[in-house]
Amino acid sequence: MKKVLLFTVLALGLTTSSYAQKFFTRTGHISFLSDTPMERIEAHNKTVTSVLDAATGRLEFAALIKAFQFEKALMQEHFNENYMESTTYPKATFKGQIVNPTSVNYTRDGQYQVQVSGQLTMHGVTKEVTAPALIKVQAGKISATSTFKVAVADYNIAVPALVRDNIAKTVDIKIAVDYQPYTN
Amino acid sequence: MKFLKILIPLALVGLGIAYYLYNKPHQNMESAEVQLQASASELLAAFETDEAAANTTYLDKVVQVSGKVRSLSRDESGHLSVTLETENEMSGVICQLDELSEPARTDFQAGEQVSFKGNCTGYLMDVVVVRCVEIK
Repeated sequence: MKKVLLFTVLALGLTTSSYAQKFFTRTGHISFLSDTPMERIEAHNKTVTSVLDAATGRLEFAALIKAFQFEKALMQEHFNENYMESTTYPKATFKGQIVNPTSVNYTRDGQYQVQVSGQLTMHGVTKEVTAPALIKVQAGKISATSTFKVAVADYNIAVPALVRDNIAKTVDIKIAVDYQPYTN
Repeated sequence: MKFLKILIPLALVGLGIAYYLYNKPHQNMESAEVQLQASASELLAAFETDEAAANTTYLDKVVQVSGKVRSLSRDESGHLSVTLETENEMSGVICQLDELSEPARTDFQAGEQVSFKGNCTGYLMDVVVVRCVEIK
């Protein structure tokens, strides 16, 4: 009887330790908004890849610049050709870390407020960024959201004088990802 | 006075052109001509072997990609993405359906052979093709 019990405990222990420690998605959503009295420019990218390592709090994102879709074709063209130069710099990446990784319990339902900091690379420029994020755990499903601001000038993006009032100096970035367990 | 007679129509034409350009519609993917063709495996292999070269070849082109459906996913607003099977089980070709036109059907089945045309946007873990329209 004791042996059976011991076996059960061991088996349970093993299942818990083989619990997925990495989460990923290929269909993350990043949107940005440049809002000025002159013009509201919004674009969405729903093919964002992200990996989250629950054990260490490591977090990575990658997005293709050309996959951002705008309401107006002309805005999309200018964004790709003049501002982001997406043929030369096809990707934007973020490699970072949850600052307080132990504050998230991935096995327990809840909402966890965290700080994420790391390097954001786009348009050939890498900058350190820190942003608040919310990690949600619900019935074993992990999702994350974040909103932060990025200054256009920080990434070496030149806005011509003619449209200076149409494009915001800082752009609001919104991230929403639903993760799946990653098994290898 | 004569000066104004010329200037005003000119200004109007200028405004008209500016307005047209500003509201220029997106490329119509349903009628877009296919510029390049590849199977999902070939497309992924091209990016895996030499990403820079594949970028030059495929980006900003209307690419027709064919393969077997590996999986389907819907975003929060219900738009469908179809991932095509390749020889690499970790990576595929993600075809995000065009949001600006009504798809002929969305009842894709895993394992089914399909062809899409769309804009190839590059390679992350998978090759991403957006604004896809099915080709029968």
